[in-house]
Amino acid sequence: MQKESKIRDPLILGNKTYHDITRDIARPVEGKANKYWWILFSLAAVLMLWGFACMAYTIGTGIGAWGLNRTVNWAWDITNFVWWIGIGHAGTLISAVLLLFRQKWRMAINRSAEAMTIFGVAQAALFPLIHMGRPWLAYWVFPIPNQFGSLWVNFNSPLLWDVFAISTYFSVSCVFWYIGLIPDFAMLRDRIDKKLSPMKKNLYGLMAFGWSGKAKHWQRFEEVCLVLAGLATPLVFSVHSIVSMDFATSIIPGWHTTIFPPYFVLGALFSGFAMVETLLIIMRKVVNMEAYITIKHIEYMNVIILFTGSLVGVAYITELFMAWYSGVEFEQYAFLNRATGPYWWAYASMMTCNVVIPQLYWIYKIRTSFVATFILSIFVNIGMWFERFVIIVTSLHRDFLPSSWTMFSPTFIDIGIFVGTIGFFFVLFLLYARAFPVIAQAEIKSILKSSGSEYKK
Amino acid sequence: MKNNKKYWKGLAQLDNNPDIEKLAHNEFAEELPLDDFLSDDLSSTNTSRRDFLKFLGFTTAAATLASCEAPIVKSIPYLIKPDEIIPGVANYYATTIYDGRDYASVLVKNREGHPIKIENNKTCTNARVQASVLSLYDSARLKTPLKNGVEAEWSLVDSDIKDRLSKIKDKKIILLTATIFSPSITSLLDNLSKKYKNVEHIMHDAVPYDGILNANEESFGLRAIPSYYFSKANVIVSFGADFIGNWLNNDYSTDYISGRNPKKGIMSKHYQIETNLSLSGSNADKRIVIKPSEQKVLLSDLYSSLSSGSGPKDNRLSEIVKKLKANKGSSIIICDSNDIKTQLIVNAINSILGNYDQTMSMTMPSYIRQGNTAKVNNLIKEMNNNEIGALITYKVNPAYNLHNAKDFSSALSKVPLTISTSLYNDETASLMEYVCPDNHNLESWGDAHPSYNTYSLMQPTIAPLFNTRQFEDTLLKWLDGSDYNSFLSDFWRKRGVNWEKAVHDGFFNIKDRKSQVTSIAKLNKNVLSSEINNTNKIELAIYEKIGIGDGTQANNPWLQELPDPISRACWDNYITISAVTAKNLNLKNWNVANGALNGSLVNVTSDDVIIKNVPVMIQPGQANNTVGLSLGYGRMKSGKAANGIGLNAFPLLNSKFVVLENIEGEHEFASTQLHHTMMGRDMVKETSLAEYINNPSSGNHTETYPTWKGDLKADELTFYDQQDLKTGHFWNLSIDLTSCTGCAECVISCQAENNIPVVGKQEIRNSRDMHWMRIDRYYSSDMTQELASKNDVSTIDMYKEMEEPSENPEVVFQPVMCQHCNNAPCENVCPVAATTHSNEGLNQMTYNRCVGTRYCANNCPYKVRRFNWFQYSDNDKFDFNMNDDYGKMVLNPDVVVRSRGVIEKCSMCIQKIQELKLNAKKEGRPVLDEEAQTVCASSCSTNAIVFGDSNNKESEVYKLKNDERAYDLLDHLNVDPSVFYQTKVRNKS
Repeated sequence: MQKESKIRDPLILGNKTYHDITRDIARPVEGKANKYWWILFSLAAVLMLWGFACMAYTIGTGIGAWGLNRTVNWAWDITNFVWWIGIGHAGTLISAVLLLFRQKWRMAINRSAEAMTIFGVAQAALFPLIHMGRPWLAYWVFPIPNQFGSLWVNFNSPLLWDVFAISTYFSVSCVFWYIGLIPDFAMLRDRIDKKLSPMKKNLYGLMAFGWSGKAKHWQRFEEVCLVLAGLATPLVFSVHSIVSMDFATSIIPGWHTTIFPPYFVLGALFSGFAMVETLLIIMRKVVNMEAYITIKHIEYMNVIILFTGSLVGVAYITELFMAWYSGVEFEQYAFLNRATGPYWWAYASMMTCNVVIPQLYWIYKIRTSFVATFILSIFVNIGMWFERFVIIVTSLHRDFLPSSWTMFSPTFIDIGIFVGTIGFFFVLFLLYARAFPVIAQAEIKSILKSSGSEYKK
Repeated sequence: MKNNKKYWKGLAQLDNNPDIEKLAHNEFAEELPLDDFLSDDLSSTNTSRRDFLKFLGFTTAAATLASCEAPIVKSIPYLIKPDEIIPGVANYYATTIYDGRDYASVLVKNREGHPIKIENNKTCTNARVQASVLSLYDSARLKTPLKNGVEAEWSLVDSDIKDRLSKIKDKKIILLTATIFSPSITSLLDNLSKKYKNVEHIMHDAVPYDGILNANEESFGLRAIPSYYFSKANVIVSFGADFIGNWLNNDYSTDYISGRNPKKGIMSKHYQIETNLSLSGSNADKRIVIKPSEQKVLLSDLYSSLSSGSGPKDNRLSEIVKKLKANKGSSIIICDSNDIKTQLIVNAINSILGNYDQTMSMTMPSYIRQGNTAKVNNLIKEMNNNEIGALITYKVNPAYNLHNAKDFSSALSKVPLTISTSLYNDETASLMEYVCPDNHNLESWGDAHPSYNTYSLMQPTIAPLFNTRQFEDTLLKWLDGSDYNSFLSDFWRKRGVNWEKAVHDGFFNIKDRKSQVTSIAKLNKNVLSSEINNTNKIELAIYEKIGIGDGTQANNPWLQELPDPISRACWDNYITISAVTAKNLNLKNWNVANGALNGSLVNVTSDDVIIKNVPVMIQPGQANNTVGLSLGYGRMKSGKAANGIGLNAFPLLNSKFVVLENIEGEHEFASTQLHHTMMGRDMVKETSLAEYINNPSSGNHTETYPTWKGDLKADELTFYDQQDLKTGHFWNLSIDLTSCTGCAECVISCQAENNIPVVGKQEIRNSRDMHWMRIDRYYSSDMTQELASKNDVSTIDMYKEMEEPSENPEVVFQPVMCQHCNNAPCENVCPVAATTHSNEGLNQMTYNRCVGTRYCANNCPYKVRRFNWFQYSDNDKFDFNMNDDYGKMVLNPDVVVRSRGVIEKCSMCIQKIQELKLNAKKEGRPVLDEEAQTVCASSCSTNAIVFGDSNNKESEVYKLKNDERAYDLLDHLNVDPSVFYQTKVRNKS
């Protein structure tokens, strides 16, 4: 049994009983979708289909459908890729790192954060695939034994490391998420009337892996969760470090920096928490989870955003300092060009959204306001997208030989694909919200008696 | 023993069963239900549902299978293989290219019976000559003779024309041709005038050189161009003549560069006094910017000070006067003016300096330009007066390229018989009654006598692609003569030429008698002028672009897409204007979101000529209050690549002043280089001759980095093991920036050899040019790092100002192709190892393996990797030569045509390297240094690009690699390129 100080704010509001929790969490799955859900879902589905059409057009005609050119060979594609991967990071951090640190407040949000991770990584994984000139040969990047002769992948290439990093990350995240879902699936299975909907019952029964809530099951469950948390924790740091090496191991000024791995990981957590906030603030309203996702949760996350945001700011300034201190004129020019060149507006957006705006969280009132948090989380999402755009495009568009310098401008296909992945992400998330328990009810029940508002009296 | 063996099929046969007997007579064991199938009444048949489905299934499957047949590609084997053709092995034929504009003696590479590449034959070629092999396969060429625009038979056309020519009694028969320096054609024309009455031959050059020709006639009694020997000149003063670019026949660069060899300690001093920034101006040691109206004044001043001994009035000339006086007999003064008086002054100056018979010669003249504008103008008058009975044109397009083309066209309707021999149904041919299409040069026999003692021969390298006939044969038909091939060989055999050898070599020698010239008379002082136009009127200077020239080959997509070496724009012509004048007139250039260049539009008016919607490009080095405009564009009846591209500037040919009128709208340029200065970086290392003589490695400074071992160079700092490149071959390429004139011949040569696609204007605007090699052009800027630190300019301002080129910048050219780094940044980032290193120092691209992540292109510091953004071949959206069955004949069978989604780049002509290695191996000998060539190296007229094996200590490239001037581009990266550059040396003394 947990013990928690009475002066700590409760994490479960509204005098809930165990049964209340079960009912609250099963309600979105068992009930009918409301109007808001349908509106959001239709919108997301339209965007998704539009995005798929743009992808099909790209694959049909060639990468020339995008705004890339001989100097800027990556732009929105890899920006989106890194952005989505970054968004995924908060989920793993919440479920793994915070588990190891025994942070109980994670229990209300880890399920959705992990869902976000998986859906985010799925969006991210689309980009390396479709950005290829010949995506139908994408399987060549896997070290599959083959009969093409002595062809093998190039283990020197950071892109190959990406393949391993992302596939590992994706599979571990999926397993971790799924293990956590087992008791909750069992709960759903047990609540379904077999006569009314036998299919549903069978399906949830299958997904629950025969969970019966025995003590032995709980013991194994706890152990597996701990082991997986231990496995996933290094991934929080490795995945984005490896993604950052796509840039850090190259020789392009603005990419070739040793600060990138920690800088990218921090940025990823920063953007991940912002996206979790964006999603949860909507979700708690749409599926009535106000009692479980409280302002305290939001405040905790805001503190993390403030912390990581400040660190990201330090990283930005360190980059500038290193460019100046290195004495390398190419390096100096790259950063000067970022801040004052033709893409100054992107750099300014990045600085404002990522460094300046999160500082507002020092103010208690802003930190503990749902509306302010929602607005600020959108700013952070935008800012982090610009961060990747700035790194990729402003470094490439003016590199070593001025004769090749040019600019990048997206086509409507570029925009369509990005918007399409947002649609796709929301389609997945909304379907998830209707089919899966959005809060780990089994876990949250474990803190009811220590952190429930009734028990704090 | 009697054989009692008996064979039987079955027991029934053995038993003589009568059923068997019966069955043996029937083909089918059972009665076929034919009646059921064939009867009209289906309801009465007993075909079951199952049978029906079987039949349906079978027929569907059969029909599907039948339609699945693979596309049939017909290849016709030789029934009797010609001895000299071995499939897969190239043949080379020596021939001559002359299209009325460009002359060159060339070698043509043939594969499987068709020409695919043009190589130099010991003379200069240029980009247009290199590209002419594609013009051969132009499907816009005429495919049959035309009569009144309708396809006709040769026999009909011939008999018509003969009949009508012979009926002309009192009117003239005019042959209007480009400059003809073919002795056999001249003799044919003689025969023509013997057979028909009143035949007159008029020559017309699209870009007229009457000024210099008439001046020489007056000065020397000989209407010809002098031969120039630039290598013998210590001082070269060119008043606007772009002799490295397009002046006359642009075959002077070899000679010019051989006089500029810092290694040998010789380097001419080249002054260029011009209005537009030309190729010559870019290469000059000193460039003085003048308005066209100042030219004659300065020449007069120069003449006066040289003849009187007093100093020049204009102090811009004082240094030149001093130099010229010190170099009498070893200088050249040339001028592009088409004004006879100006050219008389030039002649007088050269005469005072004693340059004749030293650095230039009228006794051994050049015949390359002989056009006579006065005669053409007279012809138009005579046409209007109904004095002309027949007009035959050859290699001319007067309805397009006369300044008074409209007058010509309207006068043409008064000529009863008009015959064109154009390759195209062009602006002129389409107005004429008969078109007897000529063969392309590469399908023709011919000869040429371009200058004193120089004769070259033309031989067909392919049977005529279309139902065309070469002009000479057409003439012979009308003369009832034999065929031209035997006429030509008899013609030269009679003159004692070893015909077989001459055809083999492509040229031969006959000792010409030196021309008799009168000695130059003293200059009449009346021609001198000191009137300067000080008004604000905008002066016009017409020029030709390197790619398009006078527009003869305008329908050649390679040339349309060849970036102008100076402006780096293609698919366009435009007004060039200085930044100051543009600002005064409120004309702008700006970059749009994707970087592409846009510009304002103007209407250009001069007297009664108005050209609307002319784009404006701001050009550093352009004289203030002047504009430049190039010829050759605005074709309307050439072909799909040329029609409607740019504007026709020929109507302004004789205009001196223009009025620019700002209009609404903007123009979209296709420019391959959007940034024009080096931004304080040292891509092009430069020194002066004096410093070079003092210290050969001057200007070639390599950065060192402090370490615990002391100061080390970047290549000594690596902690990786170096690849062994000492065994076997190590292919290296040296590019001498002193010798490179930026003429872009190598770019076209590379495009032809390596099947590089043309991508069109929009894709160039999208910065997606596909050229494997490009010639970067940088202007100097007024702002430098030293200046910034001296004047306390902030870094941000310094870089802002560095982006602006100087008003009269120094220009450098730098050919850049894949540098074949031995520590290649592209190689280790490819996830599928599609780009790898050879043990001969080459970076190799495996197209088949490429999945197209483009990481290599991002990580390339030189940005030389090219991605196939679309399918560029067989794609209607890229309707250039690779989407055309004729155009595809130019493709090199040794080089794969890349598909969409893969990266490509310079391979150092790996196909040629392989071929020469195999040949050497077969012959059991080492690879010779002189046979190892990339096409950029072999086509370079100035030998600026040298290729070879640097492990061969005897090779030229080995020597160059160890030269004090050699440096690696971006050496601080330590990517260790196999390509290296030689410092640019300018003669600043």
